[in-house]
Amino acid sequence: MKIRLSHKFIVAFLVIGVVAVTVAGLLIERELKTDLMIRIEKEMAVGARIIALMPAGEITRQAGELAERTRVRLTLIDAAGHVVADSELGDQETDGHLNRSEIQEARLRGVGKAVRYSHTLKKEMLYVAIPLREGSRTTGYIRLSRPLTEITLAINGIRGVIFGIIVLTVIALLLIALLFSLKMLFPIRRLVAFTGKVRAGDVSGALRLESRDEIGLLSENINEIVTTLQEKIQTADEEKRKLESLFSGMSEGVIVMDAENRIELVNRGMEEMTDRPCEEVIGKTLLEAFRNIGLHNALERFRERKETVYEEISLGDDRSVMMDVTISAVRGETGGERKTMLVFHDITHLKKLERIRTDFVANVTHEIRTPLAAIIGFAETLEQGAFEKPETARKFLRTIRENAERLNRLVDDLLTLSSLELGEAKLHREGVRIEEALDQVLAVVQTRAGEKGLTIRKELAGELPLIRADRDRLAQILINILDNAIKFTPIGGTISVATSSGEEDFLTVRITDSGVGIPKGEIPRLGERFYRADKTRSREPGGTGLGLSIVKHLMMAHGGRVIIDSTLGHGTTVSLHFPIFRDSG
Amino acid sequence: MEDIRHTSREYERELQEIRDGLLYLGVLTERALERGSQALLERNSDLARKIVREDEQIDRLDVDLEEKCIRLLALRQPAARDLRFITTAIKITGHLERIGDMAANIAEKVIILNDLPQIKPYVDLPRMVEIGRGMIRKSLDAMVREDIVLAKKVREEDTVIDQLNDQVFRELLTFMMEDPRKIQVCLYIMQISKSLERIADHAEGIADMVIYMVTGKSVRHKPASAEQG
Repeated sequence: MKIRLSHKFIVAFLVIGVVAVTVAGLLIERELKTDLMIRIEKEMAVGARIIALMPAGEITRQAGELAERTRVRLTLIDAAGHVVADSELGDQETDGHLNRSEIQEARLRGVGKAVRYSHTLKKEMLYVAIPLREGSRTTGYIRLSRPLTEITLAINGIRGVIFGIIVLTVIALLLIALLFSLKMLFPIRRLVAFTGKVRAGDVSGALRLESRDEIGLLSENINEIVTTLQEKIQTADEEKRKLESLFSGMSEGVIVMDAENRIELVNRGMEEMTDRPCEEVIGKTLLEAFRNIGLHNALERFRERKETVYEEISLGDDRSVMMDVTISAVRGETGGERKTMLVFHDITHLKKLERIRTDFVANVTHEIRTPLAAIIGFAETLEQGAFEKPETARKFLRTIRENAERLNRLVDDLLTLSSLELGEAKLHREGVRIEEALDQVLAVVQTRAGEKGLTIRKELAGELPLIRADRDRLAQILINILDNAIKFTPIGGTISVATSSGEEDFLTVRITDSGVGIPKGEIPRLGERFYRADKTRSREPGGTGLGLSIVKHLMMAHGGRVIIDSTLGHGTTVSLHFPIFRDSG
Repeated sequence: MEDIRHTSREYERELQEIRDGLLYLGVLTERALERGSQALLERNSDLARKIVREDEQIDRLDVDLEEKCIRLLALRQPAARDLRFITTAIKITGHLERIGDMAANIAEKVIILNDLPQIKPYVDLPRMVEIGRGMIRKSLDAMVREDIVLAKKVREEDTVIDQLNDQVFRELLTFMMEDPRKIQVCLYIMQISKSLERIADHAEGIADMVIYMVTGKSVRHKPASAEQG
């Protein structure tokens, strides 16, 4: 229990006050008492002297009356010490008064006094005696006595007054102390409250104290400290916020592991990459959190070598996310605690591009080798004598030419593609009537469709706007798509070509076949060069595997889009969105 | 005091090593299963041979882990919860090792199957593999999180695998009755299916051990449906 400063203050004040007033009161009382006694003694001595002027017989006779008048006890004692007369006792004889101290003092000094308990009257009495003289001979003594109770009563009266004064003083002191402590302690209380608030962490606001004394100075100092603190905290907060937003905003995933190899911190990038909320992984080991052996092994290797480790790992339940992870020690740590930081970089996209590139090279060589092998083979056979049989020789030569043509087409397509990709292809864009372009193209493909027994239906919606396209390229696009449709539609199927201008700035050409369809998962990859949805399908002569790729790039160059939608076993719809031609544009 | 704290920290680390070891083993078996399924679907015998080779690693890890557990039992004399964990760990590693063996068996059958004509597209087997993998994963998740609810869910999934196994069996039976030349292929597929069913049983065994580890009660050899709350 804390003792309040104000309590201490009041108690100290009271003790000092009470002691001072009490001491003063006691001194006054003693002084007054002494003074009173002296006065009464003198009074009695004067009275005794007056009585002594009377003749002795007269005193004896009138003792009672005298005593009654002066309300004192009067005793007349002869020289031998016998009581001659006593106002209280009448004529009763009492002896041996000579050795009483007041009588002896009276004989020696002329006046004697004493305070003594009287056995005769059973009271504390004040005695005053004087001798009766005739010439130089002492004939007796007159003694006046008064009970002390009278004096005590008077003294008690004074005591009451003194006590009253003490009580009043104490009350006054109490009030003063209270006021004073309030006035003095109020700022201190506010200081205490304010510093308490600061200690609890609230550094807002300042202390306003009017006082000009040390407390005022103190409060000013505290204000200054708090202001500095405020600034420091604000700076730290800002820094923290900056770091936090950097940490959570960066696209790389970051994990910080503590010395016990448990996950301590995970940023948002990591959460998004792995689809695991941070509360699910914090406090766990890497294996517990991600179940990834590659990651675990990389960390083990880091722990062994104690140097930065780079590793490629695949994450996710189906291992589809490729990550480049860098494991390094967290620097700037004092003390033995060793933390580890893992930075993850998503390289799925890069990996995919890399795969497309290697696939491309492999595919190109494959596509080139097949016709080349045929050419070389047939040429060798001819060389070895087949040319002597004109029938066979013609057949072989035709095959050689066909394969050479296929090679030529492949090279053409590759050139088209690369010029498209490089953005070098020049498009002569003008307003083109889609109906005309379609008629032209359909005339070309009609024979091939006819051979397979396919019907091509044309469903053109009335009046169509012009599209902005390069005539030749447009034909190329349409032929490629229609070729595919014919290729993948079984005998007797139908292909429909429809147009609509549903969208504001685009005209859509939909080419739907009733063919084999494409699995959903393969659709996004169709635009890749040489990509084939059905890997087991033998490569049909004539296709270079670049058709859709070229269409995709051509459409992009036109500012349009290709959307492929397909149901396996039911057919495929290719939607070509062409931008509409505007005179001003 | 310092010494005791150090020791207990060391002890904690050893326990964690066992936990991580189990997870590692779990991922390896899961991967073997997944690759087995891939080898079957893509008729990739090289991948299947790789699985058979890598089973050795699983066996070795199993032995290592068991040794670690026994060392810990002997040196630290763990009590109560820790004791239950370590004994459970010994059992779980045994289950995982068996799963690894099964996966290797499957891979061996896949190698043979890949040299034979395919009689039908595989649908049920990849599903069983997926469920089996999920069971292994979930049972170990249940161990890490000490999650009995998840462990019980694993027990329930075992019935799905059993049903699929029966379904495969019936289907193959009709194939075999139709055409005796398909009997060889069908028998291998049946063995794979049976192995997958056994794998699921082992995963269930892991889940049982997790329930024992957390609650101290044994639920082994009791059907999942009989288990209340």
